[in-house]
Amino acid sequence: MDNAIEALQLGRKYGKIWGLKNATFTAQYKRLVVIVGPNGAGKTTTVNILTTNLKPTKGSAKVLGYDIVKEYKKIRRRIAYMPQEFTVGWDHTPLEVVTWNLVARGWSIVDSKKQAREWLELMGLWNVKDKPLRILSGGQRRRATVATVLATNADVFFLDEPTVGLDVEIRNTVWKAIRDCLREGSSIILTTHDMKEAQMISDKVVLINKGVTIVEDTPINLVRSMPYKYRIIIEKIKGLDIVNEYIDIGDRLIIYATNYDEAIEIASRYGKFTNIFGIESIGLEDAYLRLISGDRNV
Amino acid sequence: MFRYIRQIVGISYLQMVWIKRQPTWIMQGLISAIGFTMLLYVWGSLDALRNLVIAYIITGAWGIGLNIVAQTIGWDRINHDIEFYVASPVTLSVYFLGTVVGSSPFLVSSIIPSIVVALIFRMSLFPIIVLLPLSFIALLLGAFLSLSIILRIEKRTNISAITNPLYTLTITLPPIYYPLYVLPYPLRWIALIIPSVPIMELARWMTGYASIGCNPMYSIISVVVWLIATLYIVAKKFKWGLK
Repeated sequence: MDNAIEALQLGRKYGKIWGLKNATFTAQYKRLVVIVGPNGAGKTTTVNILTTNLKPTKGSAKVLGYDIVKEYKKIRRRIAYMPQEFTVGWDHTPLEVVTWNLVARGWSIVDSKKQAREWLELMGLWNVKDKPLRILSGGQRRRATVATVLATNADVFFLDEPTVGLDVEIRNTVWKAIRDCLREGSSIILTTHDMKEAQMISDKVVLINKGVTIVEDTPINLVRSMPYKYRIIIEKIKGLDIVNEYIDIGDRLIIYATNYDEAIEIASRYGKFTNIFGIESIGLEDAYLRLISGDRNV
Repeated sequence: MFRYIRQIVGISYLQMVWIKRQPTWIMQGLISAIGFTMLLYVWGSLDALRNLVIAYIITGAWGIGLNIVAQTIGWDRINHDIEFYVASPVTLSVYFLGTVVGSSPFLVSSIIPSIVVALIFRMSLFPIIVLLPLSFIALLLGAFLSLSIILRIEKRTNISAITNPLYTLTITLPPIYYPLYVLPYPLRWIALIIPSVPIMELARWMTGYASIGCNPMYSIISVVVWLIATLYIVAKKFKWGLK
């Protein structure tokens, strides 16, 4: 068995509305799979089903080889979950939340304290270990929450937007901790809106749109599948006749080019009339936008 | 078994932290208990104080269930703590018992005045021990009653807005601090519908510290019906995962 997670045609109805229609994907052991998609696409519903919080209306899934409905108890012993917008504790100190949540999972107090120290040091929180979370910054609270979850040494981690709202430096600390967990043998499912994050840390990307899995592949393969290699960002002005594929982002346009020469040619063509803000290689964000919107101008 | 207890200790510590940071809540309970004792001593009688010894234990447990345990669970549900615990080895029983134990420091502000009053008036402490199982039922029923309402609430601030008036309605207004027998008969039956009243009646009957106002069998029936009804409602609304 190569897969830590197997989801097959998962669906979930809320009243008469399908919050998730058809999610099918796999996640290999010791790999980080990032689930991406627009707001309301069904990412959190997918994670809530896999963490046995929600019962699927249709389809099936296995986590660590166990059925999520019939064998949920076996799954719960071996997973850890960081829900979206979740802050662990308020009056608690970082040391308390990490230590006592480990005790609540059945760890001994001695081992829990040792593990808490290790993780708080790793997350740069040891110097504030005895201060209540309510007086710490949002970034420190988020790191304490991430430390509480990752310190569990679970076999599978589910992290729902763990880095949202974090500055670049702190985000990098969290990324490092997450990648360290993979090296230690854990498998991770992470959701994000940040395509740079998905491209940077994921082994595989699962794209869900309108409750359906659109694609699952490595970030590099998704970028390579694009028919374009470069993008030119220009100021949007009236009267421009654009023949290439482009994306309208309000006061700017992103125009796509198949190669560098074409990108230069486009930049010189429109540079006579408007401002050029940059010529860049395309990334996962471009692939994402193209897959979400279909093969057309948006 | 040892691991199970350790898990309960873990949850109870986490649930207890806010009390540890703000012990004035317990002090407030103690001071109001002293004030209440003085009030009844000066204006009331020995009968009133004997009733008070029981009432402290029952209302203390009832209040912990109705206010502290239910509020904690309600907030945990809104703050996603429940989802966090579901996806872990923490079971529903570990979580619930941990929350109950974590809220128990508040019992200090009920038990201490109760024992002090009993000792001052040379009353036996044995009935207080007899009350402990009944106080656990009071705690459970208080929690289930409160949860059956607040599990329908999605806004955090509305939780206290429900539990506090509910406490007043079930403790201050009905015959808890005053005896049931002072009410005329039709009102006694109506009072028995309020779940805290039959529990208090049973406490009076079990300890013999105060006179009862109706056959204890009616109180037992009322408590059992309330327990079944509220447990059913809570079980329907509160699922430990796989919702």
